[in-house]
Amino acid sequence: MIKELQELWRFRELLWQLVRRDLKVRYKNSRFGFFWSIAPPLMQVACITFVFKYAGFANRFQSYSAYVLVAIIPWTFFQTAILDASQSILHMYGVIKKVYLPREVVPLSSTIANFIHFMLSWLVFFAYLIFYVRAPILPTIIWFPYLIVVQMMLVTGLALLVSCLNVFYEDIKYMATVLLNLLFFLLPIMYVAEQVANAPALAAPGREWLRLAYMYNPMSAIITGYRKCLLQPPHPAAIGGRPSLPLDPVAMLITGAVSLGILLACYAYFNSRKWQFVERP
Amino acid sequence: MTSARHEANAIVCRDLRKSFTVQHQVYGSVKVAAVNALRRRPRETIEVLKGLNVTIPTGQTVALIGRNGSGKSTLLSLIARVYRPTSGTVEVNGAIAPLLELGAGFHPDLTVIENIELYAAILGMRRAEVRAKLDAIVAFAFDAPDLAAKIDTPLRNYSEGMKMRLGFSIAIHTDPSILLVDEVLAVGDEAFQAKCFRRIEEIQAQGKTIVFVSHDMNVVRRAATRVIWLADGVIRLDGSTEDVVRAYIEASS
Repeated sequence: MIKELQELWRFRELLWQLVRRDLKVRYKNSRFGFFWSIAPPLMQVACITFVFKYAGFANRFQSYSAYVLVAIIPWTFFQTAILDASQSILHMYGVIKKVYLPREVVPLSSTIANFIHFMLSWLVFFAYLIFYVRAPILPTIIWFPYLIVVQMMLVTGLALLVSCLNVFYEDIKYMATVLLNLLFFLLPIMYVAEQVANAPALAAPGREWLRLAYMYNPMSAIITGYRKCLLQPPHPAAIGGRPSLPLDPVAMLITGAVSLGILLACYAYFNSRKWQFVERP
Repeated sequence: MTSARHEANAIVCRDLRKSFTVQHQVYGSVKVAAVNALRRRPRETIEVLKGLNVTIPTGQTVALIGRNGSGKSTLLSLIARVYRPTSGTVEVNGAIAPLLELGAGFHPDLTVIENIELYAAILGMRRAEVRAKLDAIVAFAFDAPDLAAKIDTPLRNYSEGMKMRLGFSIAIHTDPSILLVDEVLAVGDEAFQAKCFRRIEEIQAQGKTIVFVSHDMNVVRRAATRVIWLADGVIRLDGSTEDVVRAYIEASS
C-alpha cells in the first residue's frame, strides 16, 4: 500500500485538476451554483421541522431545526459522495482505457470535490447557529475537526469500494440508491439517537446488541458526535425522559478506528481489482 | 523503473504474455454474477500475446503492423501501462506520452484553456509547464485566428475535428521521451497532417523513441526506422522498414 500511496502522490496535480473539473462543471451551468446544492438539504430541514414539530413528535425540542440541520449536512455529504463515486470510474472509462493513471485518482477526486462542498455547507450551519438560533459555541467544538477527518475516512473508503464494484456490477449504483434511502430513516437524522436507544422495546433482554449496533455504527456515531459537540443537549423530556448523554470520547475513538479500518480494507480491495477495470466486458 | 544498465534501451519486453477472459454478457451485474456462480460456467481465456521478446533502443521509430486482432494495440497498451501483463515483464525507461484516441478526457462544458490544463494533467504534465506551453499548444491546434480567439469559451463550440487537433497538439507538447501512437495520424485535413509529420520528424531528430501502430504502409515507409510485424500474438518478422513492409504486402495480396 505504501507504493500505491507514493504513486498517488506523484499524480497529485492530476488529482487536483480533476477536483477542479468537478467543481467547475458543477458550478458552471448556473450563476447560483452553490445555492442550488445547499437548497435541497435546507428544504429537507424545513419540511422535516414542519412535520415533526406540528405532528407533535418534536415539540419539546428547542430549535429542533438545528438538530436536523447538523445531521443533514454530514448525511448529504455521505450520500452524494457515495453516489457520485459509484459512477466516477465509468465516466472516466475512455481515459482509463487509454492512458495510465493510478485508478484511485478518479473516485478520490469526486470525493474530494464533495468534501469541499461539505465544508462550505458548514458555513451555512454556523451562520444559522450564530445569527438565527443565537446559540453559544460549546467548548466540545474541539471534537469537530476530529469528526470531519473520521467521516472523510469512512466516506473515502466506501467511495473506493462502491466505485470499484460498480465497474463490474452495474446494478450496484441502484442498490446503493435504495440502501441510502433506507439508511436516511435508520440513522438519527430526523430524531436523536437516544430516542431510539431509550425506547423500552430495546431495553428488553436479548436486544442489547441491537441497541449497540444502532448507537455505535460509524455513521450513527458520527452524526451523534456532531450533534453533541456543536449543540446543547435537548431537554430530557424531549428524548424519552432520561437526560441526554454527554459526548463519549471512547465511542469517538472507537468510531475513528473503525472508519480507518474500513478505509484501509476498501483501499486494499480496490487495489486488488483496479487492474481488471480495463478488462471488463 | 529507471536503471542505469538499460538506459540505452527505451523499452524491453521479456516473454510478454497477455490473456483476456472471454465475457459472455454485455455488462456485468450482481444478478448475472450470481447466476454464473450457480451454473459454474467455465471461464474461457484467449491469449492475445504469446510470449514476445522485444527490445527497442532509445531513438528508434518502430511501426507495429499486422492484421486486426494480431495484438498490436494490446502491445501498445501494455507499454503504456494500461494493461498489466499476464506474465513476463515490460521495462520502460523514460516518460511516456500516449497518443491514443485523442480527446477522451475532454469535457464539453469547460473552456478550451481549462480542457488543455485537464488533458495535460492526465498526460502527466506539470501545471507550470502547461502554463508555459499554452500559447504553443493553441497555435499548433488552431491556425485560424478566429478559432484561437475563442479559447475562453466552452469546448462544445468546436467541431470534432478541432477537438482531435487540440488533443494531438497537447499530447505532442508533453515533451515525452517515448511517444506511443495508435492510428491517430489520420487526424485533421492534409495541411494539419503535414504539420503533424513535421512535428514527428522533429521529435525523431531529438533522439526520442516512437512506437506507432498503422495500417497505412505509406505512413509506415515514411516514418518508421524499424518495423515489427505481428501475427496471432507472435512476431512474424522484425527488421528494416523496406524488408518487412515488402514481405507484409506480398503476404497480404
